[in-house]
Amino acid sequence: MEILLQQLFNSLTIGSVYSLVALGLTLVYGILHIPNFAHGALYMMGGYITLTMMTAFGFNYWVAMFVSILVVGLIGVLLERFVFRLLREAPPLHDKIAAIGILLFLEAFAQFVWGADFQTMTSPYGQVVTIMGLTFTMQRLLIIVSAIVVMILLYLFLKKTFTGASIIAMSQSREGASLVGININKVAMLTFMISGGLAAIAASLASPINLVFPGMGHLVILKAFVIIILGGMGSIPGAIVGGYILGFSESLGATYISNDYKDIIAFVLLVIILTVKPTGLFAKGER
Amino acid sequence: MLKLTDVSVNYGSFTAIKHVNIEVTEGEIVVLLGANGAGKSTTFRAISGINKLDNGEIYFQNRAIGGRAPDKNVQAGIVQCAEGRKLFPQMTVQENLRMGAYVHRRKKTEIKHSLENVYELFPILKEKHHHDAGSLSGGQQQMLAIGRALMSKPKLLMLDEPSVGLAPLIVEQMFQVIEEINREGITLLLAEQNANAALSIADKGYVFENGEIVVQGTANELLANDDVRKAYIGA
Ligand SMILES: Nc1ncnc2c1ncn2[C@@H]1O[C@H](COP(=O)(O)OP(=O)(O)OP(=O)(O)O)[C@@H](O)[C@H]1O
Ligand SMILES: [Mg+2]
Repeated sequence: MEILLQQLFNSLTIGSVYSLVALGLTLVYGILHIPNFAHGALYMMGGYITLTMMTAFGFNYWVAMFVSILVVGLIGVLLERFVFRLLREAPPLHDKIAAIGILLFLEAFAQFVWGADFQTMTSPYGQVVTIMGLTFTMQRLLIIVSAIVVMILLYLFLKKTFTGASIIAMSQSREGASLVGININKVAMLTFMISGGLAAIAASLASPINLVFPGMGHLVILKAFVIIILGGMGSIPGAIVGGYILGFSESLGATYISNDYKDIIAFVLLVIILTVKPTGLFAKGER
Repeated sequence: MLKLTDVSVNYGSFTAIKHVNIEVTEGEIVVLLGANGAGKSTTFRAISGINKLDNGEIYFQNRAIGGRAPDKNVQAGIVQCAEGRKLFPQMTVQENLRMGAYVHRRKKTEIKHSLENVYELFPILKEKHHHDAGSLSGGQQQMLAIGRALMSKPKLLMLDEPSVGLAPLIVEQMFQVIEEINREGITLLLAEQNANAALSIADKGYVFENGEIVVQGTANELLANDDVRKAYIGA
């Protein structure tokens, strides 16, 4: 029982990170229909920038994270403005090729600037606490709480503000959005900014319990794709629930099957769910 | 108020409208008639700024607006209720209407006012304000699309075949509503297949054939024109 509770807690931690990454991916897909393979590289950049801000500039963890959100958000905006916007009229394959190109570029860039070594990020929340028989580091609790706060803020932004609603509107009908006077280009840039910001948050939260290295985004982005396929491409609740389902299955799998196979679980789950419900769990109606 | 001079629009190498000249005076109802594929929607899309011009210029309140971005045109008061409605299907009726007021998003009381006006015009929308737009019937969606366009307080409202797919009784109501909208001071540009009904409320009209205007005149002139009667009224 205790092991189960402990695993449940761990699954919430990784699930939170997965959900944040998947949210950014699904937002961009829902609005611009771009499967952004470079999203994992944005995640990686987020990790490095937070780390650099802390080590080279001596910033506090939260300040470093804030800078990272801004920088990665800006990278997202630049990608939209100078890469994907130019490809809007081009065949969809070009978006995918461009995304892979950006991924390769950013990884080479990271390796050039920061080297290929694995680096550790020390968070100020490393202390171990025990509550009700559960043992964990504060960092893990912080991940869960921060992720939930971010998701609630994102929800309120999308639901309660006109700017947020314009993102939803554009995902449901791009032409409808321009007919009511929404500036499509601004919304596209904003979406990329939020997506990059979410990746930076996820990486900054997860890095203290993982490591920072140029390939740190690989497995995360693969799993994020699994999640948004599970949850229905472009679906926001799907990305959140999918992230936690995956975190949960991985933790249970690691405990009861084998830790070595936990990364395969995502893909087994994908096969099973797509067999049962090919459109994903939260697929939107036809557009 | 609105003037198209010598406007042409191409889709690739295909010319959809050729050297179109249209003039709309403030307060008028002007109707564009024409068979399927004649170029009515393309004309609307050009005015809205969704399609770029390949020739000519468009003036709105004496300012050249050809090639201006759609959102700028909505801000200036040129609003279109497009073919295919282009609603936000997974948003509720009320959310769709509120999005219609996007250009006035900072004026909360004004939005509330417009919302009440639209509900008064289309009571069924009030009844269904919590339903998803995608769950409405075709006629209700048409009303929602017009309602959403009205939420932006247009000076010039373009309605692309508002009567398409509606039951005859509803068509009649729809044209009454259109007249009412016009009485409130909104200039209307109407694309229609239903020539009889459209001309009965219009001030003047233009007849499109293969992307060109072949006949134009006051509503009475067009109703009396033998070619127009044969082609579009069936008598
Ligand atoms: N996106 C497009 N790409 C290529 N050709 C197009 C496109 N949209 C319209 N056309 C062509 O342009 C011509 C004019 O079309 P348009 O939609 O303006 O006609 P319409 O008068 O509105 O017809 P309807 O009454 O059927 O709505 C048609 O021949 C059509 O095939
Ligand atoms: Mg048409």
